[in-house]
Amino acid sequence: MRQRSIQAAGILLTFSYAAFIIWIYATEPRTFKEVATSAEIAAGTYQIDQEKFNSALALFRREQFRAARDEWLRADPAQGDARTQFYVSYAFYREGWGRVYYDQDLIKQGLEAVNRAIGLTANGSFTVDDPNLQMHTAAELKAELEQATERSWSDVNPFKVMRTRK
Amino acid sequence: MTPVQGFIGIIVTEYVVNADAKMMEINRSRNRALVSFIVLPMLFLTVALLGGLRVSAESYAFIFIPPPLVTLVLAVLLSLLFVRGHLIELPRWVASTNAPLTNFSHIWMLFTLFFASAQAFNSVLPERGLLHWLFSFFFLWTLWNNLFSWFDASRLVRSLAVLFGTAFVLKHLLLAGLYGQERGWLQRVAGALLQGVSLGTLDTPVFAPASGYISFFTLALFVAGLLLIPFAQQREAVDLAHPVIVENHLKLPPSDRVIQ
Repeated sequence: MRQRSIQAAGILLTFSYAAFIIWIYATEPRTFKEVATSAEIAAGTYQIDQEKFNSALALFRREQFRAARDEWLRADPAQGDARTQFYVSYAFYREGWGRVYYDQDLIKQGLEAVNRAIGLTANGSFTVDDPNLQMHTAAELKAELEQATERSWSDVNPFKVMRTRK
Repeated sequence: MTPVQGFIGIIVTEYVVNADAKMMEINRSRNRALVSFIVLPMLFLTVALLGGLRVSAESYAFIFIPPPLVTLVLAVLLSLLFVRGHLIELPRWVASTNAPLTNFSHIWMLFTLFFASAQAFNSVLPERGLLHWLFSFFFLWTLWNNLFSWFDASRLVRSLAVLFGTAFVLKHLLLAGLYGQERGWLQRVAGALLQGVSLGTLDTPVFAPASGYISFFTLALFVAGLLLIPFAQQREAVDLAHPVIVENHLKLPPSDRVIQ
């Protein structure tokens, strides 16, 4: 009986350990801090640094997009918060937007961020209630970014310079 | 002392000795179960975890390298060697006469041993370039040759310790010295000459010295695990007996054996 309980405990213990090892190799954390953050995400207890988030938002509103993104990266180091990733994507969009042309590198990074944001939500859609933004859903932002990557004859339309940034 | 008192004394002494022997047997059985079902799988899983871990020389960040395909082939060969060298008594570990949970635990332990072997190879193989294939070839050659040699369990473990030790010295001392960041002019010249002669195929990634320490710890754990296997298999009792008797005894189903 005692031997059987040792066997059962051993199986339980070693299976959990094996799952942890598979998880480590799948997530490939770079530091012990990242291990802890990934564990928090897996456990559903992950929270962003709200203070850093707010200071990034202030920078975003002052149109200092690069600095805002850096601050958001520090607020959400695991890139595990949908709202922060939405704002990161928005910052890429606003910086990449041009009256004559779009900066394709920035637009591409914006698309990656918005896809991350969509992937982090349960049903793939969410709304950000920020009166300073003209696009409030991830779907709107994604459509705008995708449109920016497409090439068409309308690109040569001279009236295109009249368009406005959202 | 009257004859009756003497008789009672003998009976009490015999009872105490029997109780001690029984207690020792129970403890032995529990310790073996602990080693077999908890310590060994945990040890081998730790080897599986650390075998692919490197530390970046620039940022000191963790790099996890999954086992390359060739290490799985090497692990298969090594597993065959374990069975051939009687380090693992496969017919005893997995038998229709064993309890299902026991069979399951043993199969799980064999899995952990397999992945630990693959990761132990991963730990001492250069990550890329010609040296990766040279090391792989020498490992394959050695294991293939060993498959046709006569081995017993202790000799096999000693041979493996030497094999992994040599590979460790070559990779983490010699090659790390030639290609490492903090090297003298002589090492730089030797490294450049080797690169030139091999047309750049000897290129190997540079890791922080911590990688060498992790690898050493990994290999030490792996060899320690291999040394513990005979203890978990209850071999010390049968090793004292004549080999022919032992062999015939091992052919019996576990329920018919005197020594379980």
